[in-house]
Amino acid sequence: MKYMKTLKILACVMGAFAIAGTSALAEMRTWTAADGRTLEAEFLGVTGAGPNTNIKLRTAAGQEYQFPLSKLSKEDQLWAKAHLPKDPHALAAEIDKLVLDKMKEAYYGLREEYQGLAANTDLTAAEKKKRAEELAREMEMCAPNDAASDEQFMRRVYLDIAGRIPTFKEADAFLNNRSKTRRADLINELLDSDAFAMRMYNWYSDLLRIREGVFMMGNGDIKADPYIEWIKQSVKEDKKYDEMVAEMLAATGKIWDNPATGYILSDSGMRLCNLSNTFTIFMGTEITCAQCHDHPFEEVYQMDFYKMAAFMGETETRARGRGNMMMMMEGGGGGVTREELARMNKLLLDAGKLRENDTTDRQLNRMVGTHSINVNDTGRNVVKLPHDYKYDDGDPSQSVDPGTYFGDIMDLEKYETPRQAFADWVTSENNPRFTVNVVNRLWKMAFGLAQIEPVYNIPGHLDGQAQNPKLLAFLEEMMKDLDYSVRDFMRVVYNTNAYQREAEHLSPTLTQIDKGTFHFPGPVLRRMSAEQMWDSFVTLTTEDPDAMVRRGWEEYKEIMHFDTTQLKTADQVWEYRNRIREVGRLVDVNGDASGRDVGKVGRVQMVRASEMRQPQAPGHFLRMFGQSDKQLIENQFTSGSSPQVMNLLNGQITNEVLTSPEAYLVKEIMHGEKGSKGDKIDKIFLSVLGRYPTSEEKSKASAGMSKKVDRDAPQKDKDAAEAAGIGNLIWALVNTREFMFIQ
Amino acid sequence: MKDMKEKLMNLDQLSRRQFAAGTAKAALGVSILPIAGASQKVLAAGGGKAEHCIFFYMGGGMTHMDTFDPKPGTETGGQTKGISTGVAGIELAEFMPNLAKGFKDIAVVRSMTQKTGDHRGGSYWMHTSYQPRATIVHPTMGPWAQTMLGKKHETLPDSVVIGGGGNHPGAGFFGPALAPIPIGDPEKGIQNSRPWKGVDEKTFDKRMELMSTFDEGFQKKFKTDEVSAYTQFYDETMKLMSSDDLDAFVLSNEEGYQEKVQKYGNTRVGKGAMLAKRLVKNGIRFIEVNSGGWDMHNNLWGGAIQQRAGELDNALSALIEDLKAEGLFEKTLICLGTEFGRTPKINANGGRDHHPRVFSTMFAGGGVQGGQVYGKSDKLGMAVEEDPVDPRDFNATIAYALGIDLNKVVYAPSGRPFLVAGHKRDAETNEIVTEGKPIMPFFS
Repeated sequence: MKYMKTLKILACVMGAFAIAGTSALAEMRTWTAADGRTLEAEFLGVTGAGPNTNIKLRTAAGQEYQFPLSKLSKEDQLWAKAHLPKDPHALAAEIDKLVLDKMKEAYYGLREEYQGLAANTDLTAAEKKKRAEELAREMEMCAPNDAASDEQFMRRVYLDIAGRIPTFKEADAFLNNRSKTRRADLINELLDSDAFAMRMYNWYSDLLRIREGVFMMGNGDIKADPYIEWIKQSVKEDKKYDEMVAEMLAATGKIWDNPATGYILSDSGMRLCNLSNTFTIFMGTEITCAQCHDHPFEEVYQMDFYKMAAFMGETETRARGRGNMMMMMEGGGGGVTREELARMNKLLLDAGKLRENDTTDRQLNRMVGTHSINVNDTGRNVVKLPHDYKYDDGDPSQSVDPGTYFGDIMDLEKYETPRQAFADWVTSENNPRFTVNVVNRLWKMAFGLAQIEPVYNIPGHLDGQAQNPKLLAFLEEMMKDLDYSVRDFMRVVYNTNAYQREAEHLSPTLTQIDKGTFHFPGPVLRRMSAEQMWDSFVTLTTEDPDAMVRRGWEEYKEIMHFDTTQLKTADQVWEYRNRIREVGRLVDVNGDASGRDVGKVGRVQMVRASEMRQPQAPGHFLRMFGQSDKQLIENQFTSGSSPQVMNLLNGQITNEVLTSPEAYLVKEIMHGEKGSKGDKIDKIFLSVLGRYPTSEEKSKASAGMSKKVDRDAPQKDKDAAEAAGIGNLIWALVNTREFMFIQ
Repeated sequence: MKDMKEKLMNLDQLSRRQFAAGTAKAALGVSILPIAGASQKVLAAGGGKAEHCIFFYMGGGMTHMDTFDPKPGTETGGQTKGISTGVAGIELAEFMPNLAKGFKDIAVVRSMTQKTGDHRGGSYWMHTSYQPRATIVHPTMGPWAQTMLGKKHETLPDSVVIGGGGNHPGAGFFGPALAPIPIGDPEKGIQNSRPWKGVDEKTFDKRMELMSTFDEGFQKKFKTDEVSAYTQFYDETMKLMSSDDLDAFVLSNEEGYQEKVQKYGNTRVGKGAMLAKRLVKNGIRFIEVNSGGWDMHNNLWGGAIQQRAGELDNALSALIEDLKAEGLFEKTLICLGTEFGRTPKINANGGRDHHPRVFSTMFAGGGVQGGQVYGKSDKLGMAVEEDPVDPRDFNATIAYALGIDLNKVVYAPSGRPFLVAGHKRDAETNEIVTEGKPIMPFFS
């Protein structure tokens, strides 16, 4: 794996050199085919892109050849790949071709059946009629939708990449931009913005179940903040997805020193569940059932499950045993010895600082407990077969050694811990589930439906299960070629015509989803996620919606690293223990609506969902509209309920916050640039729906906004009347389906 | 093998289809399965008399030693004295005089036992019959009842949780459409069911009119199931807002409200119980009333037990009386659970710590024969002496009273099988069968 990467990098350097002058391209070179034949020829260039590339060669005699890339030897493929267009547009064009090909192929198949229907003797007249209707519907869905308008594209791409609707200024700027590359430019701009990290964080946190509070384990007080910020930072620097996953799986130490340990800590004490979750999250494979018995439908045996679990069999999330104080210290990240703790407690006791009847201080004890939470590998594998194991390939309660049942066979000798081997195995290019899982999920993020559903359980045999197997294979290879850059991958996807078409007007049927016969005439129409809705409200109410971010956790790290031996007096110890409490609290309320006064509009904190408490409390708007409780993988939902509708009709957000004179949009309309009433209505429509009103809408809006006020009434009353009119309009617009859905 | 796979695929598809259909039809937590009704088998055996259930959940771990299973005069009894129930040999703690007086109506379990001493895990077990796992959330009894028996009321929700916390497992894998409606404060009822203050009818109508104008184009163009589902939600919510049904949630509209508050107690648990009765009367099936404050590690007799047990005693006895007066007692099961009991040994701070080995619960109404105690703890209240009952048996008893077939297998969307009161594989037949068993002496 490492060797391959080096080669790739070398090839890149060579490529850069070769491309530097076109004459370099004319250089003769010996080409070797996969079957060993060779050819002396110069490289002319390529057609197609990604894994669908054909390369063009010319021999000294002037004979031209064209080869599929896959026909070349591994080494020549690498050389050629360095010369492939990494241009997102070329790759996007290739995806578009595959989408259209599939749609055409499907259309002909359906048409044939449709034409043959009359002569079909197996069906009754009624059945024929029904089938004819189905076929007509499916045929209709086999024609690509019209290209999305600039308005539709803009709103969708903001919601998909930045996680929110555009502000009025952003919308105005884009819609008045006449540059030919304005769409690609906007995609690039948004992918580079901090808002992209916020949006991706929401996606990751649903997948990884990132939650605060559970990290408070036993006597310890572990904060999720380092993990949360690590995810965002990884997105910002576009950390390669495979490396990011490997870091999480192999992370050791304390969370403030190694935030990636948050992943293993999420399932602390539940080793077997953690394995199941890792398979689901990173390999789209559901193997939970094999924990108790052989998988009923696939080739996964109970023994396989335990062999895989054994890779994590040495991993503990707590420093245990009699020497645990020592381990806490050895694990790094600060800590105090038992003697040191006793010394401090005694100082406090003697000074009369402890509560009556107490002999130790809770804050100090808790800090020690926090230090004991430490992801480490003990060198002792504790995974055993269950006590009621009933198959003949093992005995009940027998110890199990690590072993893989697909993908690479791992040589444990090469690794310090079995867990490191596991991390390498999961993220290897040779793991048949790893890359396909992520591209399938990312496709879903853009199109609303994956190539293979359900994403958490890709069936064992991939062939024919995907909507478009060729396309899926292409995406997989493309991800590898792009070196697992999620940002570059999404750049290609968002630049496709397929993405930039109007959303599909009809729902894909369950049969279409199950059988893979929905071919993406456009993205699926989706309701905004809870976070997208909330963040859009933040956009309507604050001037810079992405500005307010979480506090950070440096103080937490600092206090955990503090060397307590320098504390000599009871007062110093007391001051220190108070700081522990303060810092604990600071991070506790970090992002909690009730704990901070910043970012408030009226009485409600309007800060982007990724910067607030994870997840929000059950009664919060976000939870009501489907924010995951982060208990389970992908537990968010976008289905409706009456409480949601009541909230939009009668709740605080739509009635008090969005319409508040303090809200950015209301302020802008009332006190911003002067303009006619018509301009104001345009501004409100553009802000909420990302489009201009029709003339009918405009006249209705105008009537709806007027409120009779006496000409001589005080300015205050006039303002109140105007605010109320604006409020009516905003209320009505956010209650439309058009607002809630992503066209 | 292939057959099985097809079966699973079908199930999966079915559950997805039902889910989609549910979204479209739903108002306030909804039915997605055809109405099945009570199991004939259960009915024939004497269960299934309860049409409603009010589940009192005592958060924090209710001390058994000082409520339903006092041990006065022993070294672990503490300061708690007993009070006669009128049944020879059975006493309740002195803090529950009303329940003691009405003992003929209630049935007490003194041999509950539980595997875990942590609040969250214990509460999860009690609510779902399953151990918490990181790969699935199991449903609680309200959504189970709706799934197995069908929806009880056309527009009102099937289950309501009053004063529940953030960790309530809710509908679990049945999905959000079946989630119990949360009521924070019984006095406030359902959130947002009335127009925002200051928004008069005229303004509201004007806004609605604007909304329909603005949304016309979009709704004409996009005819997906999800869009029509939301449109239907709007229609139904508007209907609900103007209907009388919501009145069920307005506690202050209860006839004789002031008097009743005196009886039930002007407390959260008292008002919760009162709202529960009102909801039962209006046709809601399953109501959970939460009451915390039982985690008495310190100074148990310094007012804490007197207050908690006293409030509970008032709420329960008033509820029983009220249900009887309305003719609802026989068809309403009342049950009371908690995550665990408390240590018989009194700790240094004059309190009791977590004790899952043995604790007490209670049942009444809904076909349960009152005036009895099932199971026994040992002399000091340390362990079960006779007839252990675990959370699965507890839930099996509820399910049985409601007429739910304990052996009916339901598949989660992931294809894994689950039963209402926990499951195991029968060693002989290899079938999946219920692990929980109802307390049958309650139904004779």
